[in-house]
Order: sequence, then C-alpha cells, then structure tokens
Amino acid sequence: MTWEWFWPEGFYALAMIACFAFGAFALKLPIAVAMSASAVVGALLAGFGIPVRHLVEGMFGYLDTILIIACAMIFMKTVQDIGLTEAVASWGIRKFRRQPLLLSIGVMFLIMLPGMLTGSSTAACLTTGALVAPILLKLGVPKAQTGSAIALGAIYGMIAPPVDIPVMIIGGGIDMPYVGFALPLLFATVPLALLVALIFIYPWLRRRGAVDEAGLEAELARMERAPLTFRLFLPFAALIVLMGGEQLFPELFPSLGMPLQFLIASACAIFSGQKWNPLDSAVRAMNDALPVLGILMGVGMFVQVMTLNGVRGFVSVSALDIPPWLLYVSIGVSIPLFGAISSFGAASVLGVPFILALLDRDQILVGTALALIAGLGDLMPPTALAGIFAAQVVEEKNYFRILVKCVVPAIVTVLWGVAIIAWSGKLAPFLTR
Amino acid sequence: MNMNFKFNPQGTKATALCLLICALGVAWLANRDFAAMRTLDALIPASGFEEHLLSEWFAPLRDTLLDTPVYVQSGEEPGGSVLVLGGTHPNEPAGYMTAILMVERAQVSRGKLYVIPFANRAGFAHTQPQEASPESMSFTLPDGSTRVFRYGSRDILHTLTWPNPDIYIHKASGQRLSGNEARNLNRAYPGVADGTPTERLAWAIMEFLRKEKIDLAFDLHEASPEYPVVDAIVAHERSIELAAAAAMELKGRGIEIRLEPSPKNFRGLSHREWGDASDTLPILMEVANPSQGRLRGRTDETLVLEGRDKAYMKAAALGRLFVPWDESGKPLAMRTARHLTAVVTFLSMMEFFVDESKAIEIDGLPEYQQLVDDGIGKWLHQN
Repeated sequence: MTWEWFWPEGFYALAMIACFAFGAFALKLPIAVAMSASAVVGALLAGFGIPVRHLVEGMFGYLDTILIIACAMIFMKTVQDIGLTEAVASWGIRKFRRQPLLLSIGVMFLIMLPGMLTGSSTAACLTTGALVAPILLKLGVPKAQTGSAIALGAIYGMIAPPVDIPVMIIGGGIDMPYVGFALPLLFATVPLALLVALIFIYPWLRRRGAVDEAGLEAELARMERAPLTFRLFLPFAALIVLMGGEQLFPELFPSLGMPLQFLIASACAIFSGQKWNPLDSAVRAMNDALPVLGILMGVGMFVQVMTLNGVRGFVSVSALDIPPWLLYVSIGVSIPLFGAISSFGAASVLGVPFILALLDRDQILVGTALALIAGLGDLMPPTALAGIFAAQVVEEKNYFRILVKCVVPAIVTVLWGVAIIAWSGKLAPFLTR
Repeated sequence: MNMNFKFNPQGTKATALCLLICALGVAWLANRDFAAMRTLDALIPASGFEEHLLSEWFAPLRDTLLDTPVYVQSGEEPGGSVLVLGGTHPNEPAGYMTAILMVERAQVSRGKLYVIPFANRAGFAHTQPQEASPESMSFTLPDGSTRVFRYGSRDILHTLTWPNPDIYIHKASGQRLSGNEARNLNRAYPGVADGTPTERLAWAIMEFLRKEKIDLAFDLHEASPEYPVVDAIVAHERSIELAAAAAMELKGRGIEIRLEPSPKNFRGLSHREWGDASDTLPILMEVANPSQGRLRGRTDETLVLEGRDKAYMKAAALGRLFVPWDESGKPLAMRTARHLTAVVTFLSMMEFFVDESKAIEIDGLPEYQQLVDDGIGKWLHQN
C-alpha cells in the first residue's frame, strides 16, 4: 500500500477505529455512544464539522431494522409470557426425546423457517429460535451450543430460499433478477445446516444418561401450566399466516411490513386464554432491545461518515487490490468483516464489486456464494445481530460465548462459499439452467 | 495524575430530560434541512415553452409530491414528437441537467419537444441514507451569480412508500426483486393505475406516452463506472436500428458509446416497457457517474461536479471499471454533453431511419465541446 493511497482516508479509518476502541474499552462507554463519537471524529478530521444532517440520515438507514427488532422482541416476550414457549418445549421433549437425530434435524429446520420466509436472521432467532431454545436446554444441550445452533440456523435460514435479501441486493447491482436461485441457495445452506445440527445438537441429545429423569419430569409438569391448545398457539399461527401469506400469495395478502405483522401477532395473545399484560411485555422487550437498537443507530452514523470522508471507498478498493490468486481469501475475509456494520451492507458494498470481478463465472452461483458469506456478517461484532439475539433466547449474558462457538462453522461456511465459486462451472449444469 | 478516569454518568430523570431536549434539538435541525428539500428547483424556460403538469394526463397525481412539471414546445413546421425524461433517478444529475438545459435553451423549429426534467420529483425531496450524498450542487453563471440544483435519491420519497415489502413483485410479469426496488421508478413500468405511488407514477408516464403519441422517448440516466452497462445506449428491438445509426454517428464524432439490446426477461424498465406498452421508440442512455458508485472515495459536491476520484483511479488501474478513466475524471459538464449530443444525434436521424414526416429540428443547444469547455453554468439563464 502506497502512502498516496493511504493518506488521508487510511488515517481517517484508523482514527475512527481508535476513537471507537478508546470510547468502548478505556472509557467504558456504551457501544452505541462510542460508535457515534467515532463518526463525529471521522467527520471533524475530514473537515465536515459536526454534520447533523449526515448523522441523522445515517441512523435512518437502519430504521426498518430497528422497528423489526423492537416489534419482534415484543412478540418474543409475549409468547413467553402466555406460556407458549414452555408448552411447546415440553411437548417437543415428550414427543421426540427418544429420536435424537430426527429432533436435531427438525429443530434446525424450525429455526431456519422464519429466516427463509422473511429474509431476516433476527426474525428467526426471536421466533422459532425462542421456541426451540428451552427444549434443547432442558434436554441437556449447553447454552453455548444451543445459542450457536440458533444463530447459525437463523443465518442459513436468512440465506435459504424463498427469500434471500443479500442475493437480491447483489443481483440488483448487476441487473440480475431473482430467478433460478432456489436450488443453488438450498445447495449452499442445507448441508451446512445439517452439519451444525449434527455437531451442536445431536451429540447432546444422544446422551440420555446425562438427563435427570425425575427432575426433568417435574420441570416438564411446571412448563405445562398453560395447556398447548390452538388458542395458545394463536399468536404464532397469526404470524405464520401474515408472513407466509405475503410471500406465497402476494396478490391476496397486503404487505403490512414485518413490524406490524409482529405487533398484530402479539395482539392475538389477548385471545390465548392466558393472563397477559401487554404493557409489561412491551416494556421488558424494549429494555432488552434498546442496547442493540442503539448500536444500530451508532453504526448508521459510522457508515454515513465513512462514506462521506472516503473511508468506505478506501476499504472497498483495498479489498479489490489483491492478486487474482488472493481474490478468494479477500472474499472470505473482507465480506464477513464488513458485516460488522451490516450483512446487507456487505452484500451491497463488497458483494457487488466481487461479483463484477467474477463475471466470467456462473452469476447465479457466484451471487449465491457471496450472499452466503455475507450472511456471516450477522455474527460479527459489534452488530452481530444473530449472535446477540441467540444469546438472549438462551439467556446467555455474554454473547461472545456464542460467537466463539460459531467460529469453526463460520470458517466452514466461508470455505463452502468459496468452493461454490471456484467450482461454479462444474456445479452450474446441475444447479442452474 | 489519576489515569483511572471512567465515564459513568448516573441515569436520573434530569439526565433523561436533558437527553430528550438534545434529541429534539437535533431532530429540529435535521428536519429543517430535509423539509427544505421538498421545494422544487425553479427553471427559466426558453421562449416558446408551455408549462404543464403530469397530472393533466393522469389526474390522481394532482396535489401530490408525485406530480411534476412537463414542458412542451412546438415548432413552426409539423414533424415528430420527442420526450426527454430526466430525473428518473435524482442521484444521476447528468440526466436531469441535460433535460434542464433543453428547457432553458431549446428552440424547436420542426416537430414537438416534451421535457420532464424531474420525473421522480419525490426523489428530489430526500437523499439516500448511508450514501452521504450532497443535498445540492451549484453552477456559476457568466455574471458571477450561481444557480443551485438539488441532488436527490434514486428512490421515491420513503415516507410515501413506507413500509416497503421484503420482496418487490413486478405486477405485469410476476418478476421478483429486492424490496428496495419497489421505490425505483425504473422497475415499475408499465405501472398500475391504482397501485403504489411508484406504480402510479410509472402509469402516469405511460399514459402520457400513449395519449401524446410520442414517437421517440429518452430516459436519461447515469451509472456507476464499475457497472457493465455504462457509456451506453439501451434500445428496445423496435428502436435498435435507429440506435445503431446514432451510435455509429457518435463514434464518428469521437464519442465512444456502446449499444445494448433491451433484455426481454428483465422487466419493469423504461427501455422494455415503453416499447412494449406504447408505440414510442424507447431509448435509455447511461453515462459514468463516480458520485453514485460503490467504490467512490470522499463524497461531496466537488465529486459530483468534477468527477475526479482517487478511489476510481485505483479501481481503473486494477481493471475493475467498464469505462476508460484518467486523472481528468468524469466532470458533470462532460457527462451532460454526452447525453445532450446523443439526443441531438438521434433527432437528426429520425427522418432517415423512422419516417420523413417524423423529423424533429431543435436549435439553441450547445455543442459537445462547447459544453465541456464552458461548463454548464454558461448555458443556464440568470435567476
């Protein structure tokens, strides 16, 4: 890297990172405040003063995500408070605990399902992730493994068809319609999801001896305080109808947006037959969600300022400035790292240039692989949405314990994605037409 | 000296109130900026232009942020009719600056000229979050005064279209695209009369093309230098012969431009749907704009106007661009000159490649080199 290329954008980048690190680790500021401060420093150094308009506009980049998270969190608290989560967990344990392989694979599919329908790993973590977490924990799967399975399953669900937003973003950058991706996306995600189920869930479910049967029975009886009736299941059923209906029958179902869908589904808890205080659920949900929402706002400002002062271009072009044989390494490293800001942002800012650099390959397979790798951004701190929400549903205070467990599967995911790109020519006849 | 300083404020009602007041102050300051963007830039049309509104062709747009001015000038002699549409994407300024120069300078002697400079008017009322775009750009006139024009967003104003669907389904074909494309006018054609705001605007433009029986229609764009379809004409199969002739002529004049056929399986774009759903000959043109690219460096008004960028220089050296690039960059005046010259070249071909009765003659517009040398400001009228 030459000095002319480094100065001043490279300096701005280092200064912004240093400011963030100082604020977050030395001053112990909340991550959101440290990010905001580093954005202000980046703007000041580049001579933009304190650009209020840019700081506000940057935050608005995450408005939809923030609303989805807040409303999904209310939904999660609601289904917990009416006893649905525990009732389903108890039913699942009684029904499938003698069939560990089936249960492992079934649980993984359940985790993926909301992500497949909505394209959001957050939705997956906070809905079916929250449902299966108590089942796995009660059957002896440790918190870290349960959380990791949920985080990774949610990401694979986000990438699996029918809805894959990163691949749509990448396709939009080269005018490639979202057609013909179903098989490639299943090929990219299903083997990895099965692998995670077999590594993180199956071995623990097989160890029957590890479970205290009497204690478990008492616990199951306590969890069944709310009988598992259709009325209890109503919030979940409403969510399935609203989300699934919009995706499968778009002509019939209005597009309400995920936040409203979560709120309507939560409101259905009134008819569940259980005592429920909506205000209490909402307040606790917001309390839990606020730190993450703050981080997203801080990251929004950070992204806007790094675009303003040229750091974004410096990072993007530096990622492309590599010998051809290092291109795969760059894809595998830079896209997940950029995901620290946002997995969708990584798909746009780096996914599009990389697919343009690989125009001689099968575009559908390359787009699929880049989207898969971009999905890992949801494991990258400080945003790490999948990691944070998986930690919340398993009640693990330190989400880094979840992230550490995800490192090896994440590396396997990158290798799988790179392999799909490298062998796209050989795979294309089987997976695309 | 005590180095163990820790920032650890205690949350009280007073601190909460202070923070709330600060947040309201920031919101007020930001709102002042954003609200000012809703006022449309004033143009000073050349003599002979009549000013209309698009809602005259599709009434439901009246009194909405989607309604937009339409400038019309008829020549003394009968001939063909042409539409120049700028501002489909308000972050692609060469498109709408070309249309603006035509409104301020064109003198039609034969045929009829229609110009819609701010097609996506609602896109001029905001900028794209996290793109750090400048809000405006200014041009110095020969007398030292300045004219200021907005720099907007690719999308229809988000407050008109919120909430966005996760997936955008193009109703005429069932094609699925990322949800953000639901706000993209150039994915919404042929539109839907009672659809979303984007679909209604697209429908209004289609109604305009059909009712006015437009012979030739331009949709003027810009694209990232790393995008494959750049410095290019995209033509429907019915307009490809005319486009090929124009491209040859432009190459002969030293303006390299590639010709791309409109893909039949990529729906919703003007070059496809205008041609399929009306009798017009559609032409979409792209020039290379670094200020909208993903690889750009410092993003400000200078980048928009001068088009010089260190990051694009390096990207060009790495072979990542689809256009030639050197230190002179891609100034807005040059990008606008490309569009304007191409439009004039197309018009000069009409009588030979379409029909003699469809000839269109327009004077008063700057030549390519004049615009590149003088800059845009010289060709704008004083306020």
